[in-house]
Amino acid sequence: MFTRPDTRFYKAAGLLLIAAAAFVIATLVLGGGPAEAETVEPVAAGTSTATLVIQNVINGLAFGVLLALAAVGLSLIFGTTGLSNFAHGEQVTFGALLTFFLSTNEQVTIPLVPGSFTIGLPLWLAAIIAVIVSGFTGWLQDKMLWGPLRKRRVAVLQQMVVSIGLSLALLNLLQWWMGGTRHRLTNASGGRITFGNFYVGTLTLMSVVIAAIALAGVALFLLKTRLGRATRAISDNPALAAASGIRVDSIIRLVWVMSAALAGLGGILLALFDNGAGFDSGARILLLMFAAVTLGGLGQAFGALVGALVVGVVSEVSTVVIAPDMRYASALAILIIVLLVRPQGILGRKERVG
Amino acid sequence: MDILINALEQMFTPATAAFAIAAIGLNFHFGLTGLLNMGQAGFMLLGMYGYAISVREGLPMWAAILVAMGAAILFGLLLGWPTLKLRGDYLAIVTIAAAEIVRYVGRSNTLVEVTGGSLGIKGKDYKGPLEDLSPFPDERITVGPFTYHGSASDSWWLRVVAWVLVALFLLLFWRLSNSPWGRVLKGIREDEDAVRSLGKNVYWYKMQALIIGGVIGALGGVIWAHGSAVVADAMGRPTTFWVWTILLLGGAATVMGPVVGSVVFWAALSLIRAVAKAFIPESILPSTAIEPFGLMLVGIALILLVVFRPQGILGNKKELAFHA
Amino acid sequence: MPDTTVLDGVAHEPGVAKPDPILIADGVVRRFGGLTAVNVGHFEVQRNTITALIGPNGAGKSTFFNLLTSFDTAQEGSGTFDGKPLRKVSPHKVARSGMVRTFQLTKALEGMSVMENMRLGAQDQPGESLLTAFVPPLWKSREREITEQAHDLLHRFKLYEKRDDSAGSLSGGQRKLLEMARALMSKPTMVMLDEPMAGVNPALTESLLEHIIELKDEGMTVLFVEHDMHMVRRISDWVAVMAQGELIAEGPASTVMQNAAVQDAYLGAHHDTDLGEDL
Repeated sequence: MFTRPDTRFYKAAGLLLIAAAAFVIATLVLGGGPAEAETVEPVAAGTSTATLVIQNVINGLAFGVLLALAAVGLSLIFGTTGLSNFAHGEQVTFGALLTFFLSTNEQVTIPLVPGSFTIGLPLWLAAIIAVIVSGFTGWLQDKMLWGPLRKRRVAVLQQMVVSIGLSLALLNLLQWWMGGTRHRLTNASGGRITFGNFYVGTLTLMSVVIAAIALAGVALFLLKTRLGRATRAISDNPALAAASGIRVDSIIRLVWVMSAALAGLGGILLALFDNGAGFDSGARILLLMFAAVTLGGLGQAFGALVGALVVGVVSEVSTVVIAPDMRYASALAILIIVLLVRPQGILGRKERVG
Repeated sequence: MDILINALEQMFTPATAAFAIAAIGLNFHFGLTGLLNMGQAGFMLLGMYGYAISVREGLPMWAAILVAMGAAILFGLLLGWPTLKLRGDYLAIVTIAAAEIVRYVGRSNTLVEVTGGSLGIKGKDYKGPLEDLSPFPDERITVGPFTYHGSASDSWWLRVVAWVLVALFLLLFWRLSNSPWGRVLKGIREDEDAVRSLGKNVYWYKMQALIIGGVIGALGGVIWAHGSAVVADAMGRPTTFWVWTILLLGGAATVMGPVVGSVVFWAALSLIRAVAKAFIPESILPSTAIEPFGLMLVGIALILLVVFRPQGILGNKKELAFHA
Repeated sequence: MPDTTVLDGVAHEPGVAKPDPILIADGVVRRFGGLTAVNVGHFEVQRNTITALIGPNGAGKSTFFNLLTSFDTAQEGSGTFDGKPLRKVSPHKVARSGMVRTFQLTKALEGMSVMENMRLGAQDQPGESLLTAFVPPLWKSREREITEQAHDLLHRFKLYEKRDDSAGSLSGGQRKLLEMARALMSKPTMVMLDEPMAGVNPALTESLLEHIIELKDEGMTVLFVEHDMHMVRRISDWVAVMAQGELIAEGPASTVMQNAAVQDAYLGAHHDTDLGEDL
């Protein structure tokens, strides 16, 4: 499943560019009049719709890269185990909230432990610890829950419902821990870099750069290392991989660790991009991550990147025409439309069903 | 003692009945056919909007009910069309996404004139027709430890209507699941290729199951709306997950499973909250944490159920709805 | 007794025309990615005969089988069954038109009883439509007929004692028998068996063979995929051989086994394949 991007990749990317261009043009045509009044952050007084759309494409690409980082683990787990992990969103939230917990100067608490205290680590250190702890939660989950379920040969759909239960439990645990309010990881506004009519926030730019480096790392891992090749082999054919001496269970455990750590990092960067995180931040984007992964072709790690960029751009650009509070709806609608036309996803191979 | 009476009261609220109805609908999907509908809350919400908006705009009650059902039928067709030919988890992802779209659109300010945005539609706009039919007096009535209004909102009348409806849908499920039609669905749940090889139009049967379960879910939503209000955010993903927990708790594919599940679920949730409030000191479990604490236990219960007793309270291990 | 001499005058070559074909496939091509799994120029099955489809592993037999029954869709080609076109017909319609199939990996519906499995095989039960399902008087009488028919078949396949057990409790061989009996509930004109002997214990193979021969005696046409050449020799009137997706030989069992291309195909794939006694 994790095949090297081949000609299909370029074909799909070409199609996407055309589709995106059509979408942008359509928005330009449709969104002529009232657009400016409806957007949240007008770039400057008197901007044209075209400028607005391009600014939204920039925002969307940034959001897409961060979404891809958060979603790549979802895709890796699906590829290697067949599980659609509904608890992945909470993993994203956890990274962000743990970073806040470790770095804030406010009083923090732990559930069931009386009293409050302040840790106040520097943000970068808190983030590194949070990513490591996130990875550890992935290891723990696979050790305590998913590994034993696989050993008992519990059906994947049954495991999927287990992940829904886990998501419900973790979501409420996070709410219990951090309450219902949003928390900001940093008070620094960081300023913005302007080029011509457009701008990008410094914090956003930093987040995107870190995410891109991490994604490149994942790609290198999958394509160049022995373990990465083993991971791809398992995604292609688990029985064959096991027969050829690959230790499937240890690789899957590694995938869980990676997946959770990447989700945690994605959560931290999204919290910087989004000016904060609440207990349901991850849950809110869970479906966008599924959309990204499904668009790219379930289980295709590189597909997740393409899918996330599409989801990011569509959801941001759609705010030019529809109200900002419906932008996620447009991304999900794209998901359903793509399933109609190309159920195997943009990069997926056609799978025989039925 | 109050805790127990409170739990007893929770067993028979209109909300408990509404969730039982939604779970009966899901039983058509998952219990009978093996379909993973993760958007039951979307069907419920559409039913609520369909009914409430129709009544507000002056349609008679029967027409409003038809609108609610029609919305669910359209939604089912729209969701089933692309996904029922694909692997099971595609349906799961598409239904959950579509249900969220309904919620996003419903709560959006753009449609505030129609749906009331995130504040929703007020009870007085749509509860009238049903309450006017009430044979009970227009005052508070006490029976044993329970006191409710005779006709208005969360009333005795609504309880009677809701539970009669539950009984009707149970009868419907029993009749259909024990008919040749139900036999085809059970076959599809076990192995759809085998059923296809026997000359049955599997796609169309799955569509029928999706629609009939969705329509029942929509009517469950209408009942729920009469007990509280039409608010989009009350019908988010957690609601769908609760309906699942209820069905799996009671026992998927059994006739009484959804009712037993709903009664036990709501009573247990009320007991947990009350016990936690009464016995765990404020310094360890602050009052703001009681709600998430209870729902966290729901999630854990769902995990344990699926892993250790997938057949639920009433189910039969041989007739499991989970198939790989 | 059916007339088995009807194929006597037919030439022993792949793609040959038959006097009274019930199933015709023409120019069928199925590719997976870059791999061509099936590429059959022309193939006919004579009515009321037992035809075996054989070939080494990976020859495309099962894929061809799936194409003929519409469980898979070919990129190119056409076909007819009993004069009706097969192209782009959904699998359940193929089954309804009288061509039913079984599966290599048995698909007994394990959570259901043997009897329910059988009833599901029947056609024309009005209670299978949602609207009539509500009103039992509309379908109870047909249900009684179906049950009677199922009893007869279960007696014949020696499964009557098991009728109330869940299908999951049956042995592998009994499941094969159940699958075949279930397929017969629809009173088909043609039965397609995908490796009917695979995984069946030797005690049951004899009765399975007899059942297949009985099908022909009752006027049905049988096409089956099989690995065991001894079985093929015993019951088949005609044998078609596939290798690397193509039809390479046709003829009666004894002559086909002598065919150089067939021996090449088998020996190329498996040196130790047992082609039967007179090789």
